Amino acid sequence: MIITEQKELAEILSMLEEHQSVFVVGCGICATTWRTGGEREVKTLVSKLGEAGKQCTGWTVTQEACCDARLTRRVLKQSGTALSVSDAIVVMACGAGVQTVASLVDLPAYPGLNTIGLSQIQSLSLAFERCRLCGDCILAETGGICPVARCPKGLMNGPCGGYEDGKCEVDRTQDCVWVAIYERLQQLGQEERFVAIRDPKDWSQMRSPRVVDKRAARLASM
Amino acid sequence: MEPVSRLEQVFEAGQFAVTVEIGPPKGVDVSHLLAAAQALRDHVHAVNVTDQQSSVMTLGSLTACHLLLDQDIEPIYQVTCRDRNRIALQSDLLSAYALGIRNVLCLTGDHVSLGDHPQAKPVFDLDSVTLLRTLRTLEEGHDLAGKELAGAPRFFPGAVVSPAANPLGPQIAKMEKKVRAGARFFQTQAVYDPGQFERFMRQVEHFGVPIMAGIIPLKSAGMARFMNRNIAGVRVPDSLIEEMATTSDRPKTSIDICARLIREMSSMCQGVHLMPIGWERHVPAILWKLEMRN
Repeated sequence: MIITEQKELAEILSMLEEHQSVFVVGCGICATTWRTGGEREVKTLVSKLGEAGKQCTGWTVTQEACCDARLTRRVLKQSGTALSVSDAIVVMACGAGVQTVASLVDLPAYPGLNTIGLSQIQSLSLAFERCRLCGDCILAETGGICPVARCPKGLMNGPCGGYEDGKCEVDRTQDCVWVAIYERLQQLGQEERFVAIRDPKDWSQMRSPRVVDKRAARLASM
Repeated sequence: MEPVSRLEQVFEAGQFAVTVEIGPPKGVDVSHLLAAAQALRDHVHAVNVTDQQSSVMTLGSLTACHLLLDQDIEPIYQVTCRDRNRIALQSDLLSAYALGIRNVLCLTGDHVSLGDHPQAKPVFDLDSVTLLRTLRTLEEGHDLAGKELAGAPRFFPGAVVSPAANPLGPQIAKMEKKVRAGARFFQTQAVYDPGQFERFMRQVEHFGVPIMAGIIPLKSAGMARFMNRNIAGVRVPDSLIEEMATTSDRPKTSIDICARLIREMSSMCQGVHLMPIGWERHVPAILWKLEMRN
C-alpha cells in the first residue's frame, strides 16, 4: 500500500493563498485504508478550509484508486458543475493521484498529503516501508527481506560496521536489515546466498521517469 | 610480485606493522595535519587519512595523502562509498595511483545522518565489498564498464572489521566476502578486551590475511563511556574506565593502557592501528614504551 501523511493545515492554506473556491478530492484505495484521504478525512479538511475562510465548492472520493486516470476522469466529470466554479483542487492522495487529477483538469491541483512509501501495514497506526521500486527485484537472494528499501545505505553485500546489538546505526530502534537477512537465510538453509558477492546494482532500472507500455513491449517481442 | 608499498613489505617480512590515523582539517590550513604526520613519521609504517570521518565534511583524503607523500610519509588512502558513485570512485582511485598512493582502505562509510550535513543525499552506489572488487578490476586493466585502461594501477587494498560486533556471525561472513573481493589486510574497530579479541582472531585466522588491532587511546573515563554508548562495536571494560577515572595523570595512564593492550594482543595479530583523535602527540610515547619491553 502507498503510505501517505497529511500535510499541516497551515501549509495547505499557504498553497491556497491566492485561491478562494476549493474542491477536494480523496482516494478510495490507499489513502482511505490508511485514513489520510478517505471520506472522513476529506470532510474534515472541507470543514477546516471553511473555518479558514475558504469556500468549498464540493468534494469527492474516487471509488477506486485516484491514480487510475480512466476512473478518475469519470468521477471528475460527475463533479463538473462544482469544478466549473472552483479555482483550485486539493487532492488527498499520493503523488501519483495528485498528478492524475492535475492532468485531467485545467485547475491547479495541490497535494494535501506527503507520500511516504510503499509499505507493509502492520496496524492502522504502524506501517513499514518495504519497497523502493528499484525495477530489479532481488528478494529471492535475500530471504524475502529487501536491503534496498530497508538498509538506509541500500547495501548489497551484508551489514556495515554500524550495527549494534542487531540494531541499525541510523536508527537504534530499527533492526539492522542485513543482520535480519543473515539470520533468515540461515533459518531457510540458504546461507550461500549471503556469501555470494553481489555486483553493484544496476540503477539504470530505476531511471525516472519510467513508462510501462505493455502493448509496445508485446509488439516489440513479436 | 614486488610489494607496492612499505606496508605490504612489512607484512611480507612478517614484521609487526604499526599505523596511525589522522584526519584532515575542516578548512585549508594543513599545518596541524602536517605537523602531526611529521611527528609520527619515524614511529609508524604508514598513516591512515580519513575520508570525511563520521560524515563530517573536511578537506579530502586524496589531497591529504598526496601532501603526506610530499613529506615522504607513506599514506593509507581511506575511501568510503558514501559520497561518490562508481564513476567518481574509479576516477579518484586512478588519480590516487597517479599521485603515488598505493595503500587503499576500502570502507562503506558512515551514513550522512550521523554527520554535519544530515540533509545530504547519500550515495552508496558501491559498498565496501564491491569497492574492493573495483580495485581489482582496475588492476586487471579495465573499468567497471569493461572498458580498457591506458595503464593499470596496482594497489595494496585493505578493509575493516569490527571484532566486537554483536551478532558476530554476519560481521565475519562479510569479512570473508571482503577477503574474496581482494582485501589484503584488515584494520579493526577499536578493541579493549584482549580475551574477546583472541576469540575473534581464532575465528578469522584461517583467512590468512594480516589483521591490525585497532585502538583508540582513552582520553578520559567520560570519553570511554561515550564510546560505549555511541560507537558501534566499541566496548571499553569497566576496569579500564575505572583506571581512567581515578588517575591524576590521564595521558600517562592512557599511554600505559595502550601499551599494555598492544603487548597483550601483539602475539595474536599482525599489527596495531592507533586512532588517537587529536592525541597524536602521545603516540610516540606508546610505541616507545613498547620498545622498552623488547
